[in-house]
Amino acid sequence: MSSTNLRDEGFNLELRVYVIQYLVLVVFIALGIRFYILQVARHEDYQARAENNRIREIPIPAPRGQILDQNGNVLVDNTPAFNIVVTPEDITNKEDTLNALVQNLDVDRGELMVQLNDPLRPKSQPILVKQNASKADRAWVAAHELEHPEIRGETQPQRIYKYGKLAAHVLGYIGQVNPKQLENPEFKEAGYKAGDIIGQGGIEAVYDKLLRGKDGVRRVIVDSRGRPISDLEIIEPIKGQDIVTTLDLDVQRVAEEQFYSKNDTGAAVAMDPRNGEILAMVSVPSFDPNVFARNVVSSESRKEVNAIVNDPSHPMLNKAIQGMYPTGSTWKILMATAGLEEGIITPKNSRIVCGGGIQVGNRFVHDSAGNHGALDIHGAIVHSCDGYFFRLGLKMGVDMIHDWVTRFGMGQRTGIDLPGEVRGIIPSREWKKRVNPRDPVWKDFDTVLASFGQGSVAVPPLQLIRAEAGIVMGGEFFVPHLFKEAKETQLAPVKYYDNKPTELTLSPVTIDIVTYGMWGVINEGGTAGGVGFPREINAGGKTGTAQVIAKEKVRGKEHKDHSWFISFAPMHTSEKPEIGVVAITEHGGWGAQASAPKVKFIEAEYFSKKFGRPILPELVAMNTQAKMEASQTGPAADRKRRPVVQ
Amino acid sequence: MVDLNTRKLKDVDWLLLFAPIALTAFGCLAISSSAPDSGFVKKQVISLGIGVAIAVGIMFTDYRKIVLNVAPFFYAAVLMLLVLVLIAGTQINGNKAWLRVAGFSLQPSEFAKAATILMLARHLAHVRQASLSIRDILIMAAIVLPPIILVYAEHDTGTTLTFGAILATFYFLGGMRKLLLAAGAVALVVGLVVVFPHLKRYQIERINVIIHPEEADPRGFGYQTIQSVIAVGSGGVLGKGIGHGTQGKLGFLPFAWTDFIGAVVAEETGLVGILFMMVLYLLLIWRMIAVAKSSRDRAGSMMVMGFVGLITFHILCNLGMVVAIMPIMGIPLPLMSYGGTAVMAVFIGVGLALSVRMRRFVN
Repeated sequence: MSSTNLRDEGFNLELRVYVIQYLVLVVFIALGIRFYILQVARHEDYQARAENNRIREIPIPAPRGQILDQNGNVLVDNTPAFNIVVTPEDITNKEDTLNALVQNLDVDRGELMVQLNDPLRPKSQPILVKQNASKADRAWVAAHELEHPEIRGETQPQRIYKYGKLAAHVLGYIGQVNPKQLENPEFKEAGYKAGDIIGQGGIEAVYDKLLRGKDGVRRVIVDSRGRPISDLEIIEPIKGQDIVTTLDLDVQRVAEEQFYSKNDTGAAVAMDPRNGEILAMVSVPSFDPNVFARNVVSSESRKEVNAIVNDPSHPMLNKAIQGMYPTGSTWKILMATAGLEEGIITPKNSRIVCGGGIQVGNRFVHDSAGNHGALDIHGAIVHSCDGYFFRLGLKMGVDMIHDWVTRFGMGQRTGIDLPGEVRGIIPSREWKKRVNPRDPVWKDFDTVLASFGQGSVAVPPLQLIRAEAGIVMGGEFFVPHLFKEAKETQLAPVKYYDNKPTELTLSPVTIDIVTYGMWGVINEGGTAGGVGFPREINAGGKTGTAQVIAKEKVRGKEHKDHSWFISFAPMHTSEKPEIGVVAITEHGGWGAQASAPKVKFIEAEYFSKKFGRPILPELVAMNTQAKMEASQTGPAADRKRRPVVQ
Repeated sequence: MVDLNTRKLKDVDWLLLFAPIALTAFGCLAISSSAPDSGFVKKQVISLGIGVAIAVGIMFTDYRKIVLNVAPFFYAAVLMLLVLVLIAGTQINGNKAWLRVAGFSLQPSEFAKAATILMLARHLAHVRQASLSIRDILIMAAIVLPPIILVYAEHDTGTTLTFGAILATFYFLGGMRKLLLAAGAVALVVGLVVVFPHLKRYQIERINVIIHPEEADPRGFGYQTIQSVIAVGSGGVLGKGIGHGTQGKLGFLPFAWTDFIGAVVAEETGLVGILFMMVLYLLLIWRMIAVAKSSRDRAGSMMVMGFVGLITFHILCNLGMVVAIMPIMGIPLPLMSYGGTAVMAVFIGVGLALSVRMRRFVN
């Protein structure tokens, strides 16, 4: 086979050729095995990776549901905003990207780092870095498209609160999920991810799951630079459910205007006692949720947000459900009802002496209005006689008082669908023992104070109106609520509020006496006789003055008493009352002085709408004014504040 | 010099000619898929035509005359071209290794490999002793040195290593004592260990990707290897079909028409296609080895075996890189990677082998 010449030297060329030949074989076998391993043994794994390489899921955000009042007026909506986003998956050099964003778009480095380094955040989900980008910003992004394909401009929906501060505490606001919330197992189950924008506070938070809908997804084939080439599949987003609230925009506006026009602070609630629907809820000072909506992320924005959060007047506090105030004389309605039900006083015999006050131990507690003589229960309510109730209270004793007010729902959360409701404080031996270790024993003096809503009483206005609404409704205590209806979408059926009142057996005679008494406060020259309630609505109510500090020590406005007024209309007629309003004006002085007028206008607005004509002449001018002011907030106002985005 | 004898036509080893043509054609299919509308296929076909012409031309020439007389001029000319590249060359992808001539890109380093093989074979044709003397060793190294230096100056690591492989092949074939060979192997390993820390970052990353594939940053220098492996693995047994490869097509696999053509073949024609390709290569190599064994003189066998070693080294490095058992070194897959000069260089070897075979009988 081989020529002799290959053998004639001392070394064996032929052998060496064979060695090379077999080395070649080894090489090919080794390669063959390796190809087999990749293409057969591990085929599925690589096939999956090849798929992942080229398929990207781009989320299509679902439009958040609107929030409307009960007449269909849109209170909270979405508006398109041009934002700048960065997609982590497309970042080739983190430092480069960060520097570019910080230097050119004024992005906060720290904030962005947190989101970039968040392990829970899917890398394909874009991070919002700047909202409402200016023309210059947009130009920069466009100019650097090739250099920084990971930075893009995108039109995204932005939450807009059309009436600014109006009903801010009820509506709530939106913001990014924070790390603490993500740790909450409930949140995890609901599928919230880092970077998600969710409702924080108010209806936005409580009904977030209904409002957020379901994001869609666009599955695209991308090339190696992440650029979409073709659509594989588009799953359309499902809009969130629109929520109809029980609010009435006009009534709410009047309620708010009552406080702002007089520079007052405090709270007011308007409720339908027949079902617990809340027509209006105000807390002043308030805040503009648009500040949160347009500042989900950005460095300068933090200032705007922080200004609200750190404001010493606590604008984000909802005084209607979180403020704790002594009720003052409004408490007397509860006392009267309890006293009658217990038989301490009876319809035939309810006379008690006023005495201008009462002596307890070595102190004399004054009746603030002087000596009324001797009154029956009707008179005592109409003229708000403190002395009467001091004596009634002592006859009842703290335990009975505690027992009855608890049945009326005091000292407990009403269950309203808003976050942060407080329980309040009501008189009880156990409470005094707990908070006053140096003087733990309940004394008569404490009972006396408790009898006219001072001392050991501190509750939020909503609690009070619920209790008294239940009484005037004859024992039906509804749960106050703001949710009326969630409109149907593909994802979810329509939802209504599940309304189950708590029933308390109260004698109709008691109810008649109490409601007549309240009617008399307004219509028989009682403590609210001079306020000017229109006779035709047959409103009844009760004034209250909550002491902030001992009268002798009052120096300035901040020491003035809080002014309360609670009212229902119509009363003392054959119909059940259809509206109840409670208002507290901080440092407003006498009940009739500051709060009763507010309540008057609120009820007047309600009835004006119902009758189709203004029942108070002032209402005409006021409404025009209010409508003008409303146009000062919302989108038009926003545009005045920021440069127009083309 | 050229003697055309019809009797000898029957003596042509047709398989030896067919295999490389088939391989180049197969390569064109893969190129057409991974670099469509690029005109690459056209250029490759032209190079194939030129290559076949060269091979046929050489076949009818007496290889002895080429080795003894032409080789030194060829070698000198190539060295001059390499110098020219350094001065006036075109840079493609970080390597300044091309000369643009009349609309074509010429890569002189490919010819340099052929020229070096010829020169080494020429030197060993004269040697008669049992094993290589020190003088031989040094001379052979001296032959390889100039091209290595010039190629290294082009920053072409892969080609630099190739020359080392050529030299090693000839040392082995030329009869270097086993002891020396062993010592050489050890020296090589020691050299690698010493050099390793001084490697550039991208080179280290490329090696790391092989050893620790999980750690590799998919956007870093290991990217190509990872993408290649994904492309290969996802091809399965039957592949996704010519033109239906997603990795190569969509830009996930860089240089899918040159260095990573093997991945495109694997992705689109599967294991079946790969095995078919390997069979063609083995056919080519086996026929060349047969020629080497039947050669009538040392020069012929050594020269042909030199080409065998060259082709095998290329296949090992390139396919090894495609399947991530070797780091990326920028070595093309013979005949299949897009590159006209390389195709022609292989056909020079094929032509020489055909010539050796034709003249294997001592007449």
